[in-house]
Formats: sequence, C-alpha cells, structure tokens
Amino acid sequence: MKVIIIGAGKLGTKLATSMLSSDMHVAIMDSNPIVLEKLKDHMDVLTINANGARKEILEKLNISTYDLAIAVTSDDETNILISSMVKKLGCKRSIARIRNPEYSNQLEFIQKTYKIDHVVNPDLATANEILRYLMESYTFYFGKYAMGKVSLVNFNIKNLPAFMNKSVSELSYMDGLLIAAISREGEVIIPHGGTVLKENDIIYVMGQKSKIDGIAKSLHQPVGNKAMKKVMILGGGKVGYYLAERLSKKNIAVKIIESNLDRCKNLAERLNDNVLVIHGNGTEANLLEEEDLSEMNAFIGVTGFDEENLFMSLRAKQLNVGKVIAKISRQSYIHIIEQLGIDLAINPVNITASDILKYIRGGKVVSVSLLLDGQAEVSEIIASKSWNFLGKPIMDLNLPKGIIIGAIVHGGKVVIPKGNSVIQEGDRIVVFSLMSEVPKLEKFFHLKDGR
Amino acid sequence: MNHRMIFKVLGYLLLIIALGMVTPLIISYAHHQSDTIPFAASIAITASAGFALTRIPLKNKVLKVKESLAIVTFGWLFSSLLGALPFYLSGSIPSYVDAFFETVSGFTTTGATIINDIEVLPMGILFWRSFTHWVGGMGILVVAVAILPIMGTGGFHVFKAESPGPIADKIAPRIMETAKILYRAYIIISLAEFALLMFGGMTAFEAAVHTFGTLGTGGFSTRNSSIGAFGSAYIFNVISIFMIMSGANFSLYYSLFKGKWRDVANNSEFRFYLGIIFVSVLAITIDNNFHIYHDWFESFTHSLFQASSIMTTTGYTTFDYEKWSAFSRSVLFMLMFVGGSAGSTGGSIKVIRILALIKLIKREVTKILHPRAIVAVKLGKEPVAEDTLLNIAGFFMLYMLIFILGSVAISLEGIGFLGATSAVAATLGNIGPGFGFVGPTHTYSEFSVLSKLLLSFFMLLGRLELFTVIALMSPKFWRREM
Repeated sequence: MKVIIIGAGKLGTKLATSMLSSDMHVAIMDSNPIVLEKLKDHMDVLTINANGARKEILEKLNISTYDLAIAVTSDDETNILISSMVKKLGCKRSIARIRNPEYSNQLEFIQKTYKIDHVVNPDLATANEILRYLMESYTFYFGKYAMGKVSLVNFNIKNLPAFMNKSVSELSYMDGLLIAAISREGEVIIPHGGTVLKENDIIYVMGQKSKIDGIAKSLHQPVGNKAMKKVMILGGGKVGYYLAERLSKKNIAVKIIESNLDRCKNLAERLNDNVLVIHGNGTEANLLEEEDLSEMNAFIGVTGFDEENLFMSLRAKQLNVGKVIAKISRQSYIHIIEQLGIDLAINPVNITASDILKYIRGGKVVSVSLLLDGQAEVSEIIASKSWNFLGKPIMDLNLPKGIIIGAIVHGGKVVIPKGNSVIQEGDRIVVFSLMSEVPKLEKFFHLKDGR
Repeated sequence: MNHRMIFKVLGYLLLIIALGMVTPLIISYAHHQSDTIPFAASIAITASAGFALTRIPLKNKVLKVKESLAIVTFGWLFSSLLGALPFYLSGSIPSYVDAFFETVSGFTTTGATIINDIEVLPMGILFWRSFTHWVGGMGILVVAVAILPIMGTGGFHVFKAESPGPIADKIAPRIMETAKILYRAYIIISLAEFALLMFGGMTAFEAAVHTFGTLGTGGFSTRNSSIGAFGSAYIFNVISIFMIMSGANFSLYYSLFKGKWRDVANNSEFRFYLGIIFVSVLAITIDNNFHIYHDWFESFTHSLFQASSIMTTTGYTTFDYEKWSAFSRSVLFMLMFVGGSAGSTGGSIKVIRILALIKLIKREVTKILHPRAIVAVKLGKEPVAEDTLLNIAGFFMLYMLIFILGSVAISLEGIGFLGATSAVAATLGNIGPGFGFVGPTHTYSEFSVLSKLLLSFFMLLGRLELFTVIALMSPKFWRREM
C-alpha cells in the first residue's frame, strides 16, 4: 500500500511511524525542509519538500499510483483542498484533518462536497474520549469493546497486594478475566502462566464488563462514583472548548481557566451561561485553589503545555479531586506519568492515529486503540469467512507471540477464550497486540488488503 | 452639514403629512361635519410649505449621520407644528400650544390629552387625532424611507435614529425593503383588529380610531371614559391582545410569516416581555379580586387590560385604576418604566434594555465573587457588544436623570408628588395617563403653557430615545465640519 502524508507535524510523524511498522510505503511532504531533514535520519520514508496543494507537484509524484493521501497540515482549508485535489488526480482515497470547531457540525457535508473519504478532528475525538471517561463510574482508565460488552482496564499492582509476587497462573478469582499485558518500567510484557507480578507493575485486564465491575469493587475503587456536578478545565483551546460545550449541555457546572484574554472573551461569548470562564495562568496554584479546585468532581488539564497539565493535575490529585485527567502530547513523558497517579493521561495524537489506522484497515476492523503510547494496540475485528482457521481450537492456531485474543463475542455472549475455544464466522474478536507484531497481525487476519 | 438636503427631505415629509390629512377631510365632507374647511386649509398650507421645500436645488445628495439626526428631530417637530393646524383652525382646541401638545402626544403615541370633552369633537378631528398614533407608531420617517428613493444609503441612519431599541436590524438587505416589510406587517395586523372590533359591535369609524390607537400604542379614544365606555369584555380582551402584539418586535411577525416560529419562541426579549406581563397580570388579578371585583373573570379582564396598556405604553383604560390598592398601582407604576420591545411601537425604556441591564448586574456580581472571570452578556445566544452595553447603561442613566430632574421642574406646578412624577414618567415613556393629577379620569389641560411645552419635549425625547435629540442639543453638533 502506497501512502502519502502531507504535513510532517506530530500527527504526520506518528502516522508514518505506525504505518512503517505495518509494512507500507510512506512518503511525507512538507514545506519545511528542516523538519524533513530530521525525519529522514531515523525513518525509512520518502521525503518531499514542497507545497502539497500544487497540482504539478502532485502530478510529478504520480499521485495516481498512491492508495491513500492523508492531509494533516496545520491549516484546515489546505487539508480540504489537498484531499479533494488528490482524488481528482487519481489517488484512491484521501483523509483530511479538520480542526476548526466552527466546522465541526458540517464535517459530513464537507466530506461529501469535496469527495473526501474520511475526516478526522483530533480535538473533538480527544474531548469525546475524556467525556466518555468522565461519565463512567470508574476512577481508572478503561476501554470498551464489542459495544460495551468487553472492558479493558489497568490496575497498579500496588493496589492489589493479593497479586503481588505471584505468577499469573497462581492468581485466584481471575475466572472470565485475562491479563493481556504488563507494563513494567515502561516496557510491555505479554505474560504467560509463569510471569511473576511485581510491585509497581501495571496490569491490563480484559474481560466481561460485569466481571471487571466485580474486581473494581473488591479493590475499593469506587464504582458508583459521585455524580459529576462540577468540573474544572485548565486550558481553553479547542479540546477545552469542546469539553466545556458538551459538559454544559449535561447541566454540569464548568469552570474553564485560560491565559489568553481574547480567547477568554471568545469562549465566554460562545459557551453557555453555566460555564464560567476565568482569565488566569494555570501555573498560579493560588488561583486554582481560590476557584475551589478541591471542591471539583474532576479536573482536566488540556493546555498546550504538558508540564502545566501535569503539575496542576498532580495538585488536583493531592486535593482529592475525584477524577484527574491530563493531556500529554509528548511521547517521552508517558512512562513517568504511569507512576504519578494521574487517572488518565490522554494523547490526542494517539487517538487520531488509532482512528486513521482503523479506517485504513477497513470494514472488518471495528476499532483500533493504541495503548501504552503506541507500544501496543487493541483491535476489534469481525471474523471473516476467508479465515482458514475458523472452527479450529485456538491453541492450534499458532498465533504469533505478542498477539493475544482477549475475547470472543459469539451470538451476543462474551467468551474469554481458553485453549479449546473456537472462532466462528461473524464473531467479533478483540485482539491485543504489540506494535512490533502488527504486520504479522495483519497478515494473519487478512487485514492488509484494505477492505 | 448639507442643509439643502435636510430641508428637501423635510419638504417631502410635509407632503406625506398633507396626504395623511386627506382621509379625515373626506370623512368630514361625507358626514357634513364642521371641520371640512379647516382640513382643506390645513392641507393647503402644509402641502404648499412642503412643495416649496422640495423645490430647493441640491448641490449633492450626501446624507451623513449628522444630517440624519437633524432630519429625524426636525421632521418630528415640523410634523407636529403643521399637524396641529386642523385642531387650531377648526377651533376644537383654541390655543395653538395646546394643539401642538395634542399633536406631539399623537405622533409620539403618548395619548396624553388636553381635551376635557372628546365626545363633542367633529369626526374629522377625532380621526386625525388617532391617525397620528398610527403613523407615529411605526415612525413618520420610516414612511419617507419606504417611499422616497432620494435618501439612498443615508436612509439607514434615519431608520436607526427613529427606530426604537438599542440595535436597529435590517430584515432585508435594502433599507427600503425592510421598511416596506415592517409596514406590511403593521397594515395586516391593523386590518385584523379592525375586523375583530367591528365584529364586537363598534361602528367602522370607532373601530378604525381604536385600531390606530392600539397598533401605535397611543391611547386616544373617541369616548371620554376611554375603552371602558364600551362595557364589553370581548372588546376589552381583543384590545388587550392587540396591545400586547403591538408591544412586541414587528420583525418577529416577519419571522412568523416565514415559518420560523422557533426563532420567535426562542427570542429572549419576547419571552421576557411575555414573562413580565404574565407575572404582573397574575399578581394584580389576585390582588384586585380580593379588594375590588370579587369576580375572577372581571378581575382578570381589567388587570390584563390595564397592565398591558401601561406596559406597552398605550394608555387606554377600562376602569379607574386609581381605585386599585397601593400594591396594584405600584405594579402599574413599575411597568411604566419597562415599555415595549425593541422594534415595536411601544415607548419607555424597552424590555431589551432592562434584560441587558439585569444581565449586566449579574455579570458584575459574578465578577465580585470571581475577580478573574470573563463573562459575556448574552441575549439569547448572541453576545452583546461592550459598546452596546455602555450605550444601554448610559441610556438608562439619562432616562432616570431626565425623569428625576423633570419631576422636580413639573412639581413647581403644585400638583402633588405623585402627579408630578407620574406626569413625567407618562410623557417620557409615551404612555399617556399617570396617577393623581394626571390619573385616568383627568387630562393635561390644567398645566401651564411652559409645563405643556416641557412635557411635549419629554414626549419627543422619549419617542426618539433620548440620544437622537440630545445629540442635536450638543454644541459640537452645530460646529462647522471638524
């Protein structure tokens, strides 16, 4: 598959990395030569230093031989223009990133009008992800699959003394649950029966939702958390705006703190009256406390600065705020954060990359989410009749190492697979996989041919 | 300033006024009334003055803000000066100052009268007296804007200076088109009320006169005891409904006509307007039922009528509300300072300003609790610009200042505190009847000439929303080009 990415920013680079690991031919175009120079040094991609909206350049590249163009420059209109042009010039599919909140209600219309195949809005997706987490009763992060029937959660072994220094096979009450992965000092381990759990390990547990609720209860991690009534958002950027807008519609009192005065005025004019916009800098701890940070049900740090989000989230955690979420865009922090006790560190780039990957893999893949900052992914796939292993016990499948079938949903029932479980046509399977194994995953489940 | 242009437009305006006198002339002639000759003379004088002014050769057609303000203020003044002619020439009102007061009261849709016995007046005079309400309600100059292409783009300044409310909105891209749409809605609603009043047993003449008084939120009647003389609950309630309709923004009817009823239902000013009426009527209905009427329907009918009459600044009465309890009268007094909606024919401060002021106060309170909060004042979903808010706060200040200083000046008449304050509130707010000395059973005839002129000035100030007239009085206005 030949892919061209126009715009070598954070998202563009992340996409290129993910795609390279799944064995695609990637070209990256950007008008800034310095960025490209850096990329060339550690990535096996073709770099083109040019403006992606120029017809002659696209033609020279033989754009009609490409299967996919992804426009992720910093400018929405340029992205729309490029995605529309490449289609006209013969590229098979195109994806555009559109971020402006004013366009967020007309994405479908734009898509149709300009014949763009897929549109991504990273800020909106991030806000939705945060919202989904806020509205749930858990205080820890989890993912939902198979329309909510299967959950994935992570626990720190610190909170599970009964699990400490035991091997996976020794664990009791794990019936119907599966430890899919262990994150130890920033590295991902796919456990086998003999793997011993240590303090500070973070385990990723997959299973039926009701079973997960049970384990959460036994952990004294409150399930029926207090109703969300007051939320503080630090940072009035696009994510902050989407969040405030959606929370206020649910009649939740929102305080949003933003350091840019003009942006404050703009927010105050556009948001409902139950959102209070405060002009101030997030690093002024006094201000946050004066605005009753300790009374909040949730704190969300979504400024453009990871450090600010992180520090104030820690402060919020100290003040016993129920749920604390920080937006962290830089990759290298993610390992530290796991140890800090923030409930959820969210990375918009990963969310968007997941969305695009899911789109590329096409119809059979229902969802893809990147975990552990992209070191692993969980995909939900619908079993196809082209699979030659249908009806065979799983233990005979010779699944590559690093790939685990976490759950099979057959006829509406969730089965946590054992060695003798079988997959039948039309089942939904939830697969946990290390990023390095993704090419094998695609080959195994025939995902490479697109749709 | 382009004086030639100003006078030329004023000339056209006088021609329109003369045209307006033709209908009363016909009515008078058809019914063999005593005022036929005076009307013919008035038309001749007004039309020739107007014709002479329109002959002024123009150097250019430039119409800027200054010219527009002058046209509006002098337009209203000239219309009143010449509109007073039929009253004076027919001898219905022997003093010219009184005739002028009555005409200003008519055009500004105040409805304050100096005539003690209305029922003896000839039909032409009665018709003209109420017709001024109808013309003045939508705006004398809007007529000119609607039919005169010579104003060009300057027309918007004129429209803005004359239209009630802090924000003048065009509903059509062209100002002429906007004026025509508004007048069309005005005429359709008028015809509806006319028909309903005829159905209720009024003569065509009386139905027309009271339609003019209702739609313009004026208040001149053909009877000494106003609407109460008809003694019909049907008529009371029909007029109540049409008064409330006239106090709403007329562009809402256009939205309704276009099928955008959701816009109308969600209009924050309209909702607040109806809310105020609902709460006030509810409160005084209960109060009056226990104190006076002891009959729920009767109490409701009179309370609805009186509250909407005062709030929309019409000034019709069905009952001598001076007999009401202090509470009910206080509610009426409060409503005198609310008025109609922006873009309606009602006067006073206007609902939209009150709403914006309440939100402004709310914002200041929030800012005390959260010193760093940034709060936008919004009407519905639309944020109100800081400039507009300042303008509204300034307007309120000025309105209260004129009310207080005016009351001090009028109190020199020795008519009692309530009489003096309510006379100023009733003229500045274009309402008509007040309390005490100017209560529903009294007229303004007892005032001295000086007070009558001052009260006429208040009526013009109120109708043109203070700033238009005040700007003209500033020395800066008359300085040569700066």
